[in-house]
Amino acid sequence: MVSTFTGRRRAVHKAHDAARIELTGVSKRFVTPTGTLFTALRDVDLAISPGKFCAVVGPTGCGKSTTLTMVAGLDQPSAGAVRVGGRAVDGITPGTSFMFQVDALLPWKTVLGNVALGPVFRGVPKRDAQAAAREWVRRVGLAGFEDHHPHQLSGGMRKRVSLAAALINEPSILLMDEPFGALDVQTKAIMSNELLGLWEQARPSVIFVTHDLEEAIALADQVVVMTAGPGTVKAVYDIDLPRPRGAVQEIRFEPRFLELHHQIWASLRDEVEAAYARTGPGTQGGRS
Amino acid sequence: MTEPTAATSVISSRTTTDETAVTADVRASARRRRVKVWAARLATLVIIIGGWQLLASAKIVDRFFWGQPSGIVSQLNDWVRHGTAYGSIWVQIWTTFKEAVLGFLFGVLAGVIIGVLLGQFRFFAEVLNPYIKVANAIPRIVLGSLFTVALGLGIAAKVSLAAVLVFFVVFFNAFQGVREVDRNLLNNARVLGASRAAVTRHVVIPSALTWIIASLHVAFGLAIIGAIVGEFLGAQKGLGLVIATAQNNFNPDGVFAAMFIIAVLALTAEGLIALLERRLLSWRPPSQAEAAAA
Repeated sequence: MVSTFTGRRRAVHKAHDAARIELTGVSKRFVTPTGTLFTALRDVDLAISPGKFCAVVGPTGCGKSTTLTMVAGLDQPSAGAVRVGGRAVDGITPGTSFMFQVDALLPWKTVLGNVALGPVFRGVPKRDAQAAAREWVRRVGLAGFEDHHPHQLSGGMRKRVSLAAALINEPSILLMDEPFGALDVQTKAIMSNELLGLWEQARPSVIFVTHDLEEAIALADQVVVMTAGPGTVKAVYDIDLPRPRGAVQEIRFEPRFLELHHQIWASLRDEVEAAYARTGPGTQGGRS
Repeated sequence: MTEPTAATSVISSRTTTDETAVTADVRASARRRRVKVWAARLATLVIIIGGWQLLASAKIVDRFFWGQPSGIVSQLNDWVRHGTAYGSIWVQIWTTFKEAVLGFLFGVLAGVIIGVLLGQFRFFAEVLNPYIKVANAIPRIVLGSLFTVALGLGIAAKVSLAAVLVFFVVFFNAFQGVREVDRNLLNNARVLGASRAAVTRHVVIPSALTWIIASLHVAFGLAIIGAIVGEFLGAQKGLGLVIATAQNNFNPDGVFAAMFIIAVLALTAEGLIALLERRLLSWRPPSQAEAAAA
């Protein structure tokens, strides 16, 4: 227990500079199946200091997810540069974990097997990997479910497994793509609280993509509003709510929260409306 | 299956609050249904076999061409007691079974390996795509003639033919299975630091396994067909040879009897594959069809 603790401290210290994320003039263009050129992102400039929790909000199709895949190194920008820790991203970015919107758990592995994947992939001996996984399963509150398969768990429990699987590698950067989007409101609030608790222990840099402005403000140090596609950064708001934040359900009623919400929503609303007008009524939800 | 049970439990819960009585009631109704299904199955069998026998005895169905159930039974009895023209019936069964199993194993092995490799290397898949399509369009059973000439009357020709038939089915499923792997799972493994080999081992192959195993059911049937056809084309023993001989002797009962034995073989193998499937895919939630069949 002590050794894992100091290990983590050291990792945090070492990760300090490695966790700086910088996007300069990043554009991303795709060729659609019909052959037309589609611009997902245009001239995105964004800097996230090590250990900061950054939430990205914006209307559907503004390239939020694309931004994440480029930081992870799963995809390369068409123009501009993505730098992590001062180095241009080239291949998979080391020290990164990704939490996807749909859970990326292997259905044929048990909870323990799924959580142990990170260490196993990094070449940690199986016994140590399993011990570490057991500890993380306990930490996300799933002790007793080690031998269950994902299909036997509820949506919220699967998210916990994903969270443990993402954090077990002690990432210096955590990328989250609407991780709690599919959960019901109560479960979402509980998971948000747990995420904050775990994040405050290890303090990786986080980019958290969401549709939900309240969620973004409640969790983040910094909220980035993106324009309707092609996406670019419209504005960045610093969230000066004190930490630790406590329950996300309650922080929503604080005057400062409401003030920030008001201010950011004014900026976001135009983009949502622009995106809505483009897709037309009936095809997309207004605030999706 | 579930609906009537659910309905029963609702009615029962109205009339009685005793939980054990309700469960007993539900169980009894499930048991009654099982008995009914089995009785209907038995009746179907009796009607088909009995009808055939009656029609044959009444000379409506010509038993010289179409045989009759009693003739099939006495033929089986004769084979077990006195053997076939080529020795004991067990030797014939064992020969065919061995050919089918070996062909099956070689075909599955080759199909999985090549399918998984081609599924992962897009370039080679694209290069080989037209040739694979052509090879698939060819009636491969004809290869049996080549194998018989080249490899002789022994077991090798039959195993080769069975393996070729099995290969394509398994190969296409493995190939498709690899290409259908969830991109999220692949990306997640890559971000977690998995090497290419680790991705293949932990993500690609287990994911494709559902597809591969589904193909094994069809594949074993094809392996048996390969073995039998191979024996038809030229052999010194085996059930295919027994059938060919019965055909030449105008003995429809012999053809049916051999058919029956082959069916038993195929069902046994099918059972073993189902067992393997349950073991390898035990992580899967029970599917709708399986739940209904249970």
